[in-house]
Amino acid sequence: MLRSIIKAYNEAVYETDKEAAFKIVEEAMKQGITAEEVVFDVVIPAIEEMMSMIIHDPDANLAQHFMTAQIATEVTEKMLTRFKQSPKIVGTVVMGTASGDLHSLGKRIVMGCLKAMMVSVVDLGVNVKPDTFVNEAVRFNAQVIGISAMMVHTATGEHGCRRVREILKERGLEPRIKLVVGGAPYRFDESMYRTVGADGWAPDGVTAAKVIIDLIGEVRQHDAT
Amino acid sequence: MTPLEILAAAVHGAPAPRIPIFCHLLDQGARELGLSQKQYFSSGEYVAEGQLKLRKRFGHDNVWSLFYVGKDAEFFGCKEILYSDDGSPTVADFIIKGWDDIEKLVVPDDITAHPAWEETGKCLSILKQEVGDTHPICAYLTASTTLPSLLMGMDQWMELLLMGPKDLRDELLQKCSEFLQKKIAAVRAAGANVLVYTTPFGTTRFVGKKRFESFSMPWMKRDLEPGGVDGVVYYCGMEAFNDVIEPVMNELKIGVYYISPLADLTEAKTIIGNKGVTCGVIDDIKMITWTPEETRAEVKRLCDIGKPGEHFLFGTGVMPLAIPEANIKAMLAAAFEYGSYP
Ligand code: B12
Repeated sequence: MLRSIIKAYNEAVYETDKEAAFKIVEEAMKQGITAEEVVFDVVIPAIEEMMSMIIHDPDANLAQHFMTAQIATEVTEKMLTRFKQSPKIVGTVVMGTASGDLHSLGKRIVMGCLKAMMVSVVDLGVNVKPDTFVNEAVRFNAQVIGISAMMVHTATGEHGCRRVREILKERGLEPRIKLVVGGAPYRFDESMYRTVGADGWAPDGVTAAKVIIDLIGEVRQHDAT
Repeated sequence: MTPLEILAAAVHGAPAPRIPIFCHLLDQGARELGLSQKQYFSSGEYVAEGQLKLRKRFGHDNVWSLFYVGKDAEFFGCKEILYSDDGSPTVADFIIKGWDDIEKLVVPDDITAHPAWEETGKCLSILKQEVGDTHPICAYLTASTTLPSLLMGMDQWMELLLMGPKDLRDELLQKCSEFLQKKIAAVRAAGANVLVYTTPFGTTRFVGKKRFESFSMPWMKRDLEPGGVDGVVYYCGMEAFNDVIEPVMNELKIGVYYISPLADLTEAKTIIGNKGVTCGVIDDIKMITWTPEETRAEVKRLCDIGKPGEHFLFGTGVMPLAIPEANIKAMLAAAFEYGSYP
């Protein structure tokens, strides 16, 4: 039964039809599926399936990314209130757009995908100063800082990722906090993330969630040893 | 032949000594004049002078009447632009803060009487006088489907577009389209002869084929129909759009296609053939770290693909300020060399 629910849910998301997706979830719950099962057995596999669809389907588009993230976040948030025990969180990320940059669409999509995959996300908003990224990461005990930038000068400038890297180094936080970037300039030059001192990057929201979850894993492993 | 005649030759497939060579130096003007970005963009005279000086020094074909893309928002009341001395200005205050603000949005009756036009008007009149008969003067047109991103932010616009009430969405689009139609007439009357029409919603990477046909296409038609497509370039903000070239050619009759470096130029050239002009566009973000030799090699690669069969021009994206001057020079020298016809 779960298979057919995932399929129907995914079709609705693929057609960017939010109402249909919600209806499928409601129906599933009426049939006895728990909130936990909706999140872990429908929403998360659906995002994973979406990920491979986006990679393999040349016709996958931004509207679908946006709706995948939006619907998944809303469903997850709704389900969380019905969880029997508080869920196990994968890790914590603080995210914002780089200093001087007010373009928030990319960040919003990435945050949506992360939330739906049980990563706790702290939204630092737009035009975020480098030390704010680090201070907030420490305050929330985050394993990853995510920085989004749409323009070259905010992606590569002195007040963006480069400075965040310096602060992490100065404060000896590098093993504990990883740095991830994304946004248009990184898509045009795939090696740019390294020149600005990031540990990773991703060209879209669903890949971003995967890259970030992997980095959280690295930090956790380091902490454990 | 003048650069304007060379461009006309590329459009009509007439003989010419070389391909047209476009280079978009917008933010570089301030440095050229020794001004801050904020000072530079405050005056149409500065922008015109910057454009003319840059063109003379680097030798490319075109000048721009665009200050920065966010300027369109000023016509609707935006008063806050964030300047940076190492990059482009950007809108810092979205005038549509909630859906209720859409109803209050007013399109100026006569946009050329609006204060936001004043400096652009001055800039265009200088450019027209100086190079209007000889060089392409570019103007930037933000499509109705994209203009809302400057008025409310792209994520709020996506939300309204994909999840909001259709009548409200259409009300906003109608206002944006009306503004654009007026802007097309205004920039043409003031001397612009190349109109770069921009909409990432004109790609299936943004909206998918179905929505492209049912949403983007009708609004593009509406934007362009009253003024016609003379001098119009189809540009999607450097997003790839090979899969819609055919419908755009058939339905909008646009003649010039600005192919993203993320797209396959060979495929685009095959689709467009001699029915329009294919623009080979360099990845100018990579030019920040390339050597002059690497830059030259990429120009050669683009020209090798595009030049056979003519109907081809060379161009750039919004050249970042961080590109070393040696690379701009290498790029243009190579474009003149590899873009020459025997
Ligand atoms: C749409 C667009 C516009 C629109 C809308 C802008 C807006 N307000 O959002 C319009 C046409 C208005 C526009 C204007 C401008 N633009 Co513009 N634009 C684009 C375009 C086509 C797509 C950007 C976009 O919104 N993508 C959709 C979002 C969702 O994608 P994204 O941000 O990349 O996010 C995804 C991934 O990158 C990733 N991601 C994002 N953040 C993060 C963070 C982390 C941690 C991770 C892991 C992943 C991740 O996941 C996201 C979801 O899939 C790009 C070119 C391109 N092909 O990308 C140029 C581009 C970004 N624009 C550019 C420029 C320069 C501008 C202007 C500054 C031009 C000017 N001189 O005025 C203006 C600024 C306007 C303003 N705000 O005032 C340049 C930037 C490069 C540069 N030279 O600096 C680009 C790259 C075009 C180019 N090559 O020349 N633009």
